[in-house]
Amino acid sequence: MTSSGQIKKNNTAPEAEHRALPEGYGTTEAALLPRDPNWMFIYWEITDTSKTNTCKEHGEDVFQKGRQVIRVYDMTEVDGSGPNRYFDIPVMLEAKSWYVNVVESGRAYCCEVGLVMPDGKFIGLVKTNTVNLPGGRVSDVTDEKWMSVSADFDKLLQLSGVEYIGKGSGEVAKSLAQRWEMLRAVFSRASSWGVSSMSSQNLPKQPEQQKKFWLVADCELILYGATEPDAFVTVSGRKVNLNPDGTFSMRFALPDGVVDLPVKAMSKDETDSREIDIKVTRATTTDGK
Amino acid sequence: MANNEEKGYLSLVLHAHLPFIRHPEYEDFLEEDWFFEAMCETYIPLLDIYERLTAEGTDFRVTMSITPPLCNMMADDLLRERFRRYYSLRLELAEKEVVRTRNTGFYEVAKMYETKFRRIRELYEDYYHGRILDGFKKFQDMGKLEIITCGATHGFLPLELRKEAVHAQIKLAADNYRKHFGRGPRGIWLAECAYNPGDDVFLRAQGIRYFFLETHGIIYGSPRPRYGVYAPVYCPSGVAAFGRDMESAQQVWSAETGYPGDNRYREFYRDLGYDLEYDYIKPYLHQDGVRRNIGMKYCKITGKVGLNEKAPYNPHDARELAASHAGNFMFNRERQIEHLNGFLGKKPIVVSMYDAELYGHWWYEGTDFLEFLFKKIHHDQKTVKMVTPSEYLAMHPDNQVVQPSMSTWGDKGYNEVWLNGTNDWMYRHLHKQVERMVELANKFPAADGTLRRALNQCAREVVLGMSSDWAFLMTVGTAKSYSTKRFVAHTHRFNGLYEQIMGNRLEEAWLKDLEWRDNIFPEMDYRVFSTEEMEKAAKS
Repeated sequence: MTSSGQIKKNNTAPEAEHRALPEGYGTTEAALLPRDPNWMFIYWEITDTSKTNTCKEHGEDVFQKGRQVIRVYDMTEVDGSGPNRYFDIPVMLEAKSWYVNVVESGRAYCCEVGLVMPDGKFIGLVKTNTVNLPGGRVSDVTDEKWMSVSADFDKLLQLSGVEYIGKGSGEVAKSLAQRWEMLRAVFSRASSWGVSSMSSQNLPKQPEQQKKFWLVADCELILYGATEPDAFVTVSGRKVNLNPDGTFSMRFALPDGVVDLPVKAMSKDETDSREIDIKVTRATTTDGK
Repeated sequence: MANNEEKGYLSLVLHAHLPFIRHPEYEDFLEEDWFFEAMCETYIPLLDIYERLTAEGTDFRVTMSITPPLCNMMADDLLRERFRRYYSLRLELAEKEVVRTRNTGFYEVAKMYETKFRRIRELYEDYYHGRILDGFKKFQDMGKLEIITCGATHGFLPLELRKEAVHAQIKLAADNYRKHFGRGPRGIWLAECAYNPGDDVFLRAQGIRYFFLETHGIIYGSPRPRYGVYAPVYCPSGVAAFGRDMESAQQVWSAETGYPGDNRYREFYRDLGYDLEYDYIKPYLHQDGVRRNIGMKYCKITGKVGLNEKAPYNPHDARELAASHAGNFMFNRERQIEHLNGFLGKKPIVVSMYDAELYGHWWYEGTDFLEFLFKKIHHDQKTVKMVTPSEYLAMHPDNQVVQPSMSTWGDKGYNEVWLNGTNDWMYRHLHKQVERMVELANKFPAADGTLRRALNQCAREVVLGMSSDWAFLMTVGTAKSYSTKRFVAHTHRFNGLYEQIMGNRLEEAWLKDLEWRDNIFPEMDYRVFSTEEMEKAAKS
């Protein structure tokens, strides 16, 4: 996959769709997702109504007095009497998401975002689902029927190539990237791979092969900015896709000469616009050695 | 006599997938090229191999996923038309090139492209009349190819909160498979080999008998698997799981020692789109006239040299090399299987799994390699027998019961590729959409007319947003803005439809526009998201 953007023939009208995602959904809720044997991801939304209700119930100043935490419960082997172990991670409620590290893999966890009061009382604000983390290692459970094979199991593990874990679909991307890095190392040149070039490419001069000492250098241009997330932005007349927060950045090849980059933004309702014109001049000289 | 002499089995599994990319709203769209490139470099060349092997009487076995998004794209009228335009332009250029390169070192390779694109045209038009799924189906019906399915949009199941979403991904896929291939799928490729313990009950509900796991999914299973990855295990649901053999995987794809890095193979990064004079190449670029790779490359890897020191590619040398690599691969499988047979005391099954697009697209000679491999295994040895997982299970129905571990084939082996700082923001929105979709399906058990169309379109937008590809592309940084835009667009479209439905103020013109843009699964029935359907499936 080598392409880097879309082509729009008549890039005049802002696309109605390109609005930012909702900030929230107006519901107090949280979710916990497994990342790997020792990490989970939690996100939450706590509405103002929920906060007001908490204040009503526990006192107007609970949010000032209480420490904001994620309480992580170990839900493994709970016999209906509630979780038996937990620990707290200090957090800001505004963070809205967090990565949670647990020492013990292979267990079930659930989180609750809440407040720890000075007297030690915990006020829960929102609770997540329960996640079962993988063990990340060979099981201790051996079928009675197959107990006799345990001595050979290490060898079987080796044969199975367990040391290669994680060499999956990314492996090709990685190996191609390595080759690309290698090419760049001996020969600096941007291609369409990850670089959207507006200018046709001129290959820089090669180092002379017979000499041991050599130097190659090149540079590229990164243009960045930000506007309202729903604005319509063009650079040199081409539409730019904004990130959900309204920021944008583009990377260009930078040949010798003058590059003109007019940046235009138009508000969603097309009543307001701003323009910034950037001119970049590049002049490369070498000592000719 | 010869039939019973094999010491073990080799199952070759190719995972063919691309995200659903189709933009009728643009006359010319860059990312649609992914599909056209894969058609020219992988999917049609594979069919070409199957045709040739069959014609010359070489028996072979291969298991191949054709994911539902890919099936939808292969069957889509607009993309079929655009694909014709794509290969016709390539053929036109190749024909010009044969003239231009006469008496130069590039003549042979120019000739190669001309032959290649002519053959693509011949297969696509004369053999399959633009319906290449029929080509794959033909070899499945012959028993040589086993086509397996995949989640409806390659959804990453372990990060779904609601089982309704898991069920919908599997059920839609199975129904779509039936539509294209005339029977139910026997196997499935779980997107990214991402397995969440227990989700296999939804496979069983669709009559799916097996799926594939990364090595540690089996090795870390409980209790310990007796034969490691060299025999399938049954999940408690009775669905079989086959584990990936890393030795054969590494042999092909290792960055240091893998075959594709050989200096005589074609260089991926040197492309005519940059090499040729601008006015000459411009008609073959996209409408914006920006130089990009066009998929025709004239140089070999050559060595550790800069791009402009690459030497001309010699198709004959490269093909011979692919043959010798195929021989090496077969030799290693023979030794591996002999060794495992002695060690395990039974016939092992070695499952070699790869992205299909690696063959032909990334590793240009990879398809030649496969053809030689099939031939050599058939003609030159008796140690290894190629089988499909279905054939293996029919021969060996008794297997150990093991609960496999949560796992994926991504970097580090778990979910991090699809859940990290570049993409974790997606899940809040994705989960909300699924929750709302389930709410809609439960609220309207028998909608009709415009409401029904709107509900079906909601389901299409939800499943399109679920593609693991968006999160993957954000992680690797390729096409990040496109994948972000796609995810945002489907979220926005779903939320808009949801609000219109709940507020009883459907805008039919907008609905129509969305149906025209996001037309995946024309047969969509939104009730696939209902809680009742999911529970029924879980209990079946």
